[in-house]
Amino acid sequence: MDTFFFNSLSPWQWAVMGGIPPALVALYFLKLKRQPLEVPSTYLWHRVIEDLHVNSLWQKLRRSLLLFLQLLVVGLAMAALLRPGWRADALVGKRFIFMLDNSASMSATDVSDTAFHRGPRSRLSTGVAGSANSRLELAKQHAAAMIDRMTSDMSAMIVTFAEQTQVVQPFTSSRKKLREALQRISPTAGRTHLRDALELASGFANPERITSEEDGQEYEVTDPSPVELVILSDGRFDAVAGFSLGNLRPQYLPIGSPEAANLAITGLSVRSDENRPGRRQVFVQVANFSDQPQRTVIDMSLDGKLVDAVEMEISAEGLSGVTFSLGEISAGVLRARLEIPSSFADRLQLDNTAHAALNSDRVGRVLLITPGNSPLELALATERVARLAVVEKQQPEFLQSLKTQQLMESDRYDLMIFDQCVPVKMPHCNTLTIGRIPPLPQWQERSSDKLHFNPQIVDWQRAHPLLNLVELGNVQIADTRIVQPPPGGKILVDSTLGPILAIAPRDQFEDVVLGFEIVGSETQGATQGQRTVNTNWPRRYSFPNFWLNVMQYLASGTARQDSPVYQPGEPVELSSAILGKMPVLDSSALDSSALDTSALDTLGADPGLDRPDRVGEKSRAGRASEAKSRKLKKLKVVLPDGASRGLAPPQHGIYAFHETYLPGIYQVFAGKERLYRFAVNLLDPNESDIRLRLGSGEQGGLRVVDSISIGYVDIEAQVQTSASRREFWKWLLLAALVVLVIEWYIFNRRVYL
Amino acid sequence: MPTPASLLTPELLAQLERLEIVTRKMFRGRMKGERRSKRKGQSVEFADFRNYVPGDDLRLLDWNLYARLDKLIVKLFLEEEDLHFYLLLDASQSMEFGQPSKLQYARQLAAALAFIGLVRSDRVRIETLGQTTQQRSPVLRGRSSVPRMLRQLEAIGLEGPVSLAQGVKNFCLRNTGRGVVVLISDLMDKQGYETALRWFVAHQVDCYVVHLLSQEELDPDVKGDLKLVDCEDHDAAEITVSAPLLARYQHTLNAFTQGAREFCTRRGIQYLLANNQVPVQELVAHHLRRRGLVR
Repeated sequence: MDTFFFNSLSPWQWAVMGGIPPALVALYFLKLKRQPLEVPSTYLWHRVIEDLHVNSLWQKLRRSLLLFLQLLVVGLAMAALLRPGWRADALVGKRFIFMLDNSASMSATDVSDTAFHRGPRSRLSTGVAGSANSRLELAKQHAAAMIDRMTSDMSAMIVTFAEQTQVVQPFTSSRKKLREALQRISPTAGRTHLRDALELASGFANPERITSEEDGQEYEVTDPSPVELVILSDGRFDAVAGFSLGNLRPQYLPIGSPEAANLAITGLSVRSDENRPGRRQVFVQVANFSDQPQRTVIDMSLDGKLVDAVEMEISAEGLSGVTFSLGEISAGVLRARLEIPSSFADRLQLDNTAHAALNSDRVGRVLLITPGNSPLELALATERVARLAVVEKQQPEFLQSLKTQQLMESDRYDLMIFDQCVPVKMPHCNTLTIGRIPPLPQWQERSSDKLHFNPQIVDWQRAHPLLNLVELGNVQIADTRIVQPPPGGKILVDSTLGPILAIAPRDQFEDVVLGFEIVGSETQGATQGQRTVNTNWPRRYSFPNFWLNVMQYLASGTARQDSPVYQPGEPVELSSAILGKMPVLDSSALDSSALDTSALDTLGADPGLDRPDRVGEKSRAGRASEAKSRKLKKLKVVLPDGASRGLAPPQHGIYAFHETYLPGIYQVFAGKERLYRFAVNLLDPNESDIRLRLGSGEQGGLRVVDSISIGYVDIEAQVQTSASRREFWKWLLLAALVVLVIEWYIFNRRVYL
Repeated sequence: MPTPASLLTPELLAQLERLEIVTRKMFRGRMKGERRSKRKGQSVEFADFRNYVPGDDLRLLDWNLYARLDKLIVKLFLEEEDLHFYLLLDASQSMEFGQPSKLQYARQLAAALAFIGLVRSDRVRIETLGQTTQQRSPVLRGRSSVPRMLRQLEAIGLEGPVSLAQGVKNFCLRNTGRGVVVLISDLMDKQGYETALRWFVAHQVDCYVVHLLSQEELDPDVKGDLKLVDCEDHDAAEITVSAPLLARYQHTLNAFTQGAREFCTRRGIQYLLANNQVPVQELVAHHLRRRGLVR
């Protein structure tokens, strides 16, 4: 009664109202209003009405169209007095920004749960839900319902926010356009970033001067009138700190249910076995976002074939990890999939599968900068090393050129070996420094550049991949620097005088510092500048082994980029180093012993980049590779859904690909040849935990949905939207009037039945 | 009150001069007139011969035959007598309706017919249904009686409720002479018109029934919920006017008039349905002439 009808009369008034129709019928039968008319004779009339007297009641009712119409008029009037209407959200304001969350968690299918779900949305949900099968659909329906209630003097825009903010429809007062824009919104697998959307909205609400063009019409959005900001989201994002809402008047309509359970893969990483670099391990982390412990099975398949499956139990609200050992595989597509038990209502399917792409081992690129070190060059010239990496050699003077600095900041090399020299700035790759301390404060502070004589090796980390099968007990050293790694680093070889080999991480790279020179030069005396032998290590078996380990561990790049995993919406940079395994480029690189910059050309590197060897004529190989490179400049990316996108050649040597909205495997093609694959996975506990956050307060015995926090403002979840009634009693009265006119017409025209 | 001029206009009189009342039967007249009678008498038109019997007027003997046959034969001639022409008006309350009222129309019609009769030296008697057996109207004869006839007609006013059958019966009892009777009535008698007309048949008169209905009766212009009150017996009929009801009324009316027509035709009574909207002149000149009442 309250929702549809509104009682506007008291009981006794209703009694009077209720008496009208019977009175009307009674009057009709009693014919109190018959007008007497004298006629010459009722002789004929009596004969006429004789027939009508037979079953006259029914006859009268059947032919009493007028009575029916009169009753209809009274009925309509009474219905109008009931003030029928429906509860509707009052749209207060003139301009609206509908912000729809289309992040991954909005794909949750817990919409039907909202029936039993607590107060806040239930009222609105029952009114609007229906055909919606995901949170986003429900949010769209809510937005559509609000758009329907817009009046002609209101305008609105629609913004979606996930990994990226998108203006689906600029400000318009056309409800048709707004509804069409709503239809265009599709779910993404991205994370939720509200801030960008808020900043965009703020630009409209607190404008300097903004015009938005649409169909040639210009809307000047300059007046600082308040803008109603309607956030339709599940609230799965962090508080937006340091943001001022200004003229924005936010409303938060939470979509979803606090009970929505979900099992999700929240972590997937592929790495080489630390001890046996050729072998791969896959680590999978599964999270249980429900209040019951769950058992589930994780399938691991490689190129569609099941490799392994593990059953695991995850405690309520818990995380659990499992490691799959895959043996020596080089390339393929790994897929981890959760088998959801049928008893478990998993509300988000998106995160039940995770992918990883294994790109085949590629040949690493190593730049050796040395004034001359024949044992080392010999050790790096072995066939096995050549299979792992291409070694290029430069003189230390090369480091002084400014252009070299630019080259070092590129991804061209996997490893740089600085023999008896240090760069001005650490390059963008792994490094191994021989006989010097890297120019990094952490290293400089702890290590000393002072030479210590005759250290005795006492211990080394045999388990570390760098020292795999390396026996150092018989190595003697003339002088060395003591290398103390910064925090997080590891001492690999310890001597009587202190650590002489250490490794430490630097960003995603690792720096190895060997304290002693292998081939030194005299620093004083008559033989100053002459090469001297500093250690007998090159004469030991362990020496080539060590360098092979170095190539495997630091140069071949298996640890870095062969199984890249990105998150949806994250831009992917396809640099020359990643795509460097293209055969054409490799062969050209192998052809030239010196630094071959033509490979850079091939990948569209900055033409302004100085090429040290380009002074003379270009080599034939270089030209040949350039000729081939032109064909490769346009790449093609095949998305997980089979669509393909062209990738125009970039300006600065790095292809950038942005359309990583779909989770799955992306393949990069040059022509028909697949160069590279990468995977996009959700892997975000914040998105996978799709339950609405509950606040501390209670209302009507039910806990309310937590507010969201923007700047210093907490926006309450709309417990009850500012309800107003949409009434149509005016239409009923109008209908009554129309019926009255019809009745009058019929009465006068005697057009009966 | 109608004036003589309102009953008969000069144009109508001029037209009526040329007409005469026709009877399909031969009646005995009362006085010498212009019509052949059943009675043998003195005229130029031979009728029959018969043997002389004592007492016959000797002037009627056919002397030529006596000379030839030596028998006394009397030569008979047709008598020319006047005609009894009765006009019986229904002056009940129901005749008051219509524009002009049916009674007025009846007066006009009666005046026209009476004028024809008077011009042709017929014995014209104008009576109403309300008259008792003792109340006789004067007999009018000759052109000189036209003013009297008009005055008499003007004097006819509305009478109380009288049954059609009773009125006709009284008329027949009052007037033994046979002749032409024209009944001008709406026949709206709840006991029916059949008994009344049978009286005429029994009386062996040449009867004409002018069934006079007003336009309101032929096509009633009523709407809404009505309580119809009979002006004579104040009987009420409650109706809710509707198209089907009106159609039904038309149907009933047609059945009524058709029934009356059939009833009359079967009994040798001439029936004419008259509408008060039709001018009297036209009614007499066309409809009654077609019916054979006038010539």
